[in-house]
Amino acid sequence: MVDVIPVSSYPSHISLLPSIQQCNLTNLPENYFLKYYLYHALTWPQLSFVAVVRGRGGKPGAYPKVVGYVLAKMEEEPTDGVAHGHITSLSVMRTHRRLGIAEKLMRMSQRAMAEMFNAEYVSLHVRMSNVAALHLYRDTLGFEVEKVESKYYADGEDAYAMKMDLKSLQIKQNEVESEKDDEQDEGDAVGSLGNKVDGAAAQADGEEAKKEKMIKVKVGQRLGVGDLVERNEGSTTAQY
Amino acid sequence: MAQAQQQLSHKDGALFRQVVRHFENKQYKKGLKAAEQILRKNPNHADTQAMKALIIGSQGQTEEAFALAKIALNNNMKSHVCWHVYGLLYRSEKNYEEAIKAYKFALRLEPDSAPIQRDLAHLQIQMRDYEGYIQSRRNMLQQRSSIRQNWTALAIAHHLAGNYEDAENVLTTYEETMKTKPSRSDIEHWEAVLYKNYIIAESGDIQKALDHLEAVGKKSPDVQAVMEMRADYLARLGRNSEAEAAYAALLERNPDDSAYYDGFIESKGLKDGPLSEIQKAYQELADRFPKADMPRRRPLDVLSGDDFQQAADAYLQRMLRKGIPSTFANIKHLYTDESKRDIVQELAEGYAAGNLGSQTNGAAENGESKEESRFKSSVFYFLAQHYNYKLSRNLEKALDYADKCIELEPKSVDFHAVKARAYKHKGDSVKAAELMDQARSLDEKDRAINTKCTKYQLRADLNDKALETASKFTQNKTGGPLSDLVDMQSVWYLTEDGQSYLRQRKLGLALKRFHQILAIFDTWQEDQFDFHNFSLRKGMIRAYVDMLRWEDRLREHPFFSNMAVSAVKAYILLFDNPDLVHGPIPDSINGVSKSGETSAADRKKALKKAKREQEKMEKIEAEKKAALKAAKSAPKSEDVDNKKEDPDPFGKTLVETKDPLKEAMKFLGPLLELSPQLVEAQCVGFELYVRRKKYLLATKCLLAINALDSKHERLPQYRQQLKQVLADKPADLSDQVADIIKNEAGDLVL
Repeated sequence: MVDVIPVSSYPSHISLLPSIQQCNLTNLPENYFLKYYLYHALTWPQLSFVAVVRGRGGKPGAYPKVVGYVLAKMEEEPTDGVAHGHITSLSVMRTHRRLGIAEKLMRMSQRAMAEMFNAEYVSLHVRMSNVAALHLYRDTLGFEVEKVESKYYADGEDAYAMKMDLKSLQIKQNEVESEKDDEQDEGDAVGSLGNKVDGAAAQADGEEAKKEKMIKVKVGQRLGVGDLVERNEGSTTAQY
Repeated sequence: MAQAQQQLSHKDGALFRQVVRHFENKQYKKGLKAAEQILRKNPNHADTQAMKALIIGSQGQTEEAFALAKIALNNNMKSHVCWHVYGLLYRSEKNYEEAIKAYKFALRLEPDSAPIQRDLAHLQIQMRDYEGYIQSRRNMLQQRSSIRQNWTALAIAHHLAGNYEDAENVLTTYEETMKTKPSRSDIEHWEAVLYKNYIIAESGDIQKALDHLEAVGKKSPDVQAVMEMRADYLARLGRNSEAEAAYAALLERNPDDSAYYDGFIESKGLKDGPLSEIQKAYQELADRFPKADMPRRRPLDVLSGDDFQQAADAYLQRMLRKGIPSTFANIKHLYTDESKRDIVQELAEGYAAGNLGSQTNGAAENGESKEESRFKSSVFYFLAQHYNYKLSRNLEKALDYADKCIELEPKSVDFHAVKARAYKHKGDSVKAAELMDQARSLDEKDRAINTKCTKYQLRADLNDKALETASKFTQNKTGGPLSDLVDMQSVWYLTEDGQSYLRQRKLGLALKRFHQILAIFDTWQEDQFDFHNFSLRKGMIRAYVDMLRWEDRLREHPFFSNMAVSAVKAYILLFDNPDLVHGPIPDSINGVSKSGETSAADRKKALKKAKREQEKMEKIEAEKKAALKAAKSAPKSEDVDNKKEDPDPFGKTLVETKDPLKEAMKFLGPLLELSPQLVEAQCVGFELYVRRKKYLLATKCLLAINALDSKHERLPQYRQQLKQVLADKPADLSDQVADIIKNEAGDLVL
């Protein structure tokens, strides 16, 4: 039986990250350091989901087999100024296809984006040759192609940049009795210190970076969060 | 400042600040230049020397950096800069204990320094020095109490140390200072609120946790978490009807989480039946969630006999008619019950034999035949997997059904793959790898089948071929595909490759792979470091705390234990056959004589051959490297790719170790500590400890094996070995220890 569960459920499934990483390495050419998964799971814990097969009487806390996952985030510095989510990576093992797992993973992540971070839409990239994925995003889920990103992938293939509206999933203001909410700016809510770091973090996004040059991918993958933190907090000796 | 160090001129003082700034911006060359400029006029200026040390350390000259830092310290023992730098150097070497000491010295000299205090705090939490961390966090809070992060951090420190009340109080104190009501978008606030709830629940006061959650949960944007926590609390408080409703609401959100079904069924009081009621409950859920698999599949776990047969029939037909390839994967867990296994087999064989009326009455002829053929191939595929599975194995039948599948769909990757699997189980790993490569060639763009093929090639000990297959999906940078796989932390590949080399008795390469995985786990442990700071800023505290706890048991992951068992075996093999250091010398005439009894001439010959092969391998590798270098001639000046070349690609230094048994402890230590329930771990533990003459520890392993599996096949042999030791009374065995062993092991050594 396949469970589709939040990585951040109560109790936590964060111990599955290494298995999620190996699932990604098994299925997809775009791979990331474990730290990049950690970065997702610790910045937007509610947005990533995992599909597992538990053995008989398998309890959480053990290490079930991971057969699929979605790794998702909020765009840290949206160029359009609109809070929105982004699918970093989605994959389901060949042995477990046609069970609708990918669709479930996506829907759960989308809802969490809207509920938790008030995302107005979600974006993603997909290889133009990936017919099955395109079918899922466009026909099943309702994504629309926004544009074609030329040579998006490391091997030179183009990508469709797709997006989908999430406004219907947002928790509406009037549902919550509160005074003068200003939910325009997600960035502020996370804490003002976060902003500068957010800027740097965008570079660490393996996928994002891939648009630029191979070199840049490496910077992101190699340095991961470490670099982000150093940049801001590196004022080790500043006062001397 | 205590002792006056050499004063810098106004100009040099400014220059010194520049050095610091250059360092922070990672402009090492500029920083170095400025530092040297100061040192020309003030050759013994300790702080400048220290900064220079820090810079050259960051450039990779570790030894020189330490040497210079020492000189700097000698020049001014009372400079907090020098001590801080000393700590930073240790920290970059991951010698956290020394780093903490140095930071503490620095802090004593400069108690109000925020950066030193912060660096110390991060190391304390990294090292799980909770008391020290509490102290540091308290200081930091006092210095800047207006920042919420500092309150949350102190609460975390108390929480981790087990002081639930203190942790809760700190959070509450901050909440009480808040003047305006936080909005829903104040994610840091709502996370801190749920974190407080998490602490209350963990302290054991579930009623209080529930009351708190009811009061604050509605406004939290983390809807899912609030619902999960609430359902759990209600269930634990025995408020069953409310818990039932809470789990029902969770199922509405996600009908694919078995924990919710468990909670639902339990709060209905149906955990132990009656079966008819359970079945009814699932039937209702199945109607409610027409697309969900679980309410249909879960009853199969509890039903039996005719009820099971009926339910299984309906389930299998539903899945197979839809052509779902994972049907078998979803069913096989039932096979531990033999009667269920037999019923499933009978049903599937029945479908295959066609004694099943078409269920699609009235469908158009065309459509029907299409659905029928999909059903047929699904059934064949199901049976091919069924007869491959260890609890229902019949490889001839498996092959037969695989061929039937392929006949229907010659281009199906899955069908070729299941045939390959049958050959693997027959023990013909070479043929299996060939067939899997055929399957792979049917869909070259799919990495999943590429991975399967790579794995099969490794199982067949075709290491070079496997790497070539894998390389179709790696980036193939300067270091080649293997270095990409190491970089990308491809633990599965390294494990399979290492285990393959172990089978081939190529111990250098085997140990190389196992150590590469060991290093990946070290990296994963180190990865948490940056989050001590990052997570506080992001405010996602529960996830952070969960992460810390997971990191504490990182190496209990099967990826680690699986590899570590093999690594210990490799070291034991090396200890027993020291000649293997020269290369793969075959075990002398299978089992008849143990190693060491081969004739001297044979041994010499084998040694020579092994050495020759080793040399050949090294030559090929060197050529490959040269070719690669030539191909990429002038590498661009970007220093991103100038990774250090691996000085020991074949694990030569690893295999040449003087003390293989001691080296093996790097693997056995975490293995026995974190996975003591693995009988395999206890077995290699016994073998290693006996060879190390640590008889008490060996006895402990023996007792564990006996407790885990008293019928374990190697148990009699191990008992005999230990008995022999007690009889021989070697010098390493004191009477006292012998007595303890006899006492503890009792019957096992009689």
